[in-house]
Amino acid sequence: MITLKGINKTYFGAVPLHVLRDINLHIDRGELVSIMGASGSGKSTLLNILGILDNYDTGEYLLDGVLIRNLSENRAAELRNRMIGFVFQSFNLISYKDALDNVALPLFYQGVSRKKRRLMAMEQLDRLGLADRARHLPGELSGGQKQRVALARALITNPSIILADEPTGALDSKTSCEVMQIFRELNADRGMTIVIVTHDPGVGEQTNRVIRIVDGRIAPDQ
Amino acid sequence: MKTGFLDLENWREIGATLMRNKTRTLLTAFGIFWGTAMLAMLIGGADGLERMLRRNFEGFASNSAVIFANRRSISYQGFNKGSGWSMTTADIDALRRIEGVDAVAATDNIDQLPIAAGRYSTTTAVQGVDQDFMKAFLPTIRSGRFINESDQRHKAKVAVLGINVANKLFPAGNAIGEFVNLQGIYYKVVGIASQEAEERINGEKIDDTVTIPLSTLAFAFNRGDDVGAAMLTALPGWSPGKLKPRIMRVLRARHPIHPDDTQALFFFDVSEQFAMVDSLFMGITLLAIFVGIGTLVAGIIGVGNIMWVIVKERTSEIGIRRAIGARPLDIVVQVMSEGIALTSIAGTAGIVFAAAVLGVADTLSGVRFQISFGTAAAIFAVFLVLGIAASIIPSLKAMKIKPIEAINDK
Repeated sequence: MITLKGINKTYFGAVPLHVLRDINLHIDRGELVSIMGASGSGKSTLLNILGILDNYDTGEYLLDGVLIRNLSENRAAELRNRMIGFVFQSFNLISYKDALDNVALPLFYQGVSRKKRRLMAMEQLDRLGLADRARHLPGELSGGQKQRVALARALITNPSIILADEPTGALDSKTSCEVMQIFRELNADRGMTIVIVTHDPGVGEQTNRVIRIVDGRIAPDQ
Repeated sequence: MKTGFLDLENWREIGATLMRNKTRTLLTAFGIFWGTAMLAMLIGGADGLERMLRRNFEGFASNSAVIFANRRSISYQGFNKGSGWSMTTADIDALRRIEGVDAVAATDNIDQLPIAAGRYSTTTAVQGVDQDFMKAFLPTIRSGRFINESDQRHKAKVAVLGINVANKLFPAGNAIGEFVNLQGIYYKVVGIASQEAEERINGEKIDDTVTIPLSTLAFAFNRGDDVGAAMLTALPGWSPGKLKPRIMRVLRARHPIHPDDTQALFFFDVSEQFAMVDSLFMGITLLAIFVGIGTLVAGIIGVGNIMWVIVKERTSEIGIRRAIGARPLDIVVQVMSEGIALTSIAGTAGIVFAAAVLGVADTLSGVRFQISFGTAAAIFAVFLVLGIAASIIPSLKAMKIKPIEAINDK
């Protein structure tokens, strides 16, 4: 599903920062993987590259057989929309839209009709047990509910992978467990490929494979 | 390329974002509203003023001049400076023979005389006119006819009543064929007339005047050959200004007037007034458009400003949208539609407000101040174009927002 070959990334600031050094990584379809590393290890940069939010300098990135390189903004947006479902630490829901509209938003950018996308969004919310919260604004939802809405939004386009950036970082431990449970179910029942970036070992433990990043390199498997 | 411009979601979002900061939206909208209203009101106001001024000349042949004898400003042949003289009917005949003169309408008038018909009576101005009057001045004939050449030749005792005089003397209506008593002489009413113009040659408006043949007036009131004033119209290709030296030459030959005395004949060139009104209002209209568009541009800059702030505020939201698949064009469309929605609503409200104000002006003045539908449509087009222009810079800025920057921007 994901193949990285010799990925390098340097940020050219006042002092050039070589954040990713020769990353080689393969993730199969249906894997539940966590990427762990300390702050500044380069794990967020890796996630941005995986999510087509950032470019890399050298190497090769294949996502579901598509070479991700030198894409136009439009093509990148389209691939993000169709192949990747994002889940963020701070949920990143749009505050003035209710849960249903938030979930339906990716379909808006696909040009799906309003009626159809609201139907699909309702279905997603229902699956995640939020049908009764559909008309609530994000501000009226609990942290766990918000993250489930964000998950529904990530899932609605039926993406190839789910990329989650510290999905439990803003949640208490009980809610964290619930959210992780959902990730595990998605992986087990629907065969979703899921990549979770985290620095929380508790989260890492619940995934099937842990990739450790140290100083921009992948640490050998233990 | 398919964009969400027409999608209901787009418009719901616009409503939501504009309503989130009501005061700010309202103030920005007011700038546009006021600019548009100013533009529409200035254009309508300029047109209305022009119509008001033109109304004064309505009924005047535009290629004409009013002349009458004035006091001498230079002593000549024993006549002191300040002494008066009079035009006579023979002068009028001489003026009619000048090449380029179409008609010379001689008039004379008498102020406020009592007039009676049956048991009704009132006071009225009386004017005598000849057959050329209808060529120079275009009164509105309400019923019957006006004074004609036969009346003038036969010193007929006929009268045309001004509409107001007729209403006082014949409140029951139909005055035609009835008689009115003016200083003991009975005149048969042959017509009822009024005038559109505010301007008057001498004395009262035709509405408040009884008009009789000039020859009859001279005879009945012992005026001899004197003529009060004349209205002179030029043939096509000639203008009163061009004819003035010839007119002066003829009159100097017939009366002792100093060759350098330009004051002895009052000469009011109507065509000059028309030309002046034309150029004056051309200027006023241009000024109105300039000031109006200036005000509108100030309002539009306000929109551009606010759009810029909104884009700044929503950097992170735009980043999220980009992350979940919004193309740069989607973001541009979103920001532009907000700017366009704001300008359209506020601008339309401005036009409606201006139309209401101009409508009131219509009623109060009796002159059309209202802008035409075409003008309104043009103003709409102007603010739409300006609104789009003002939204371009903020939307380009929004387009450049990278999803990664925006998401990390917490």
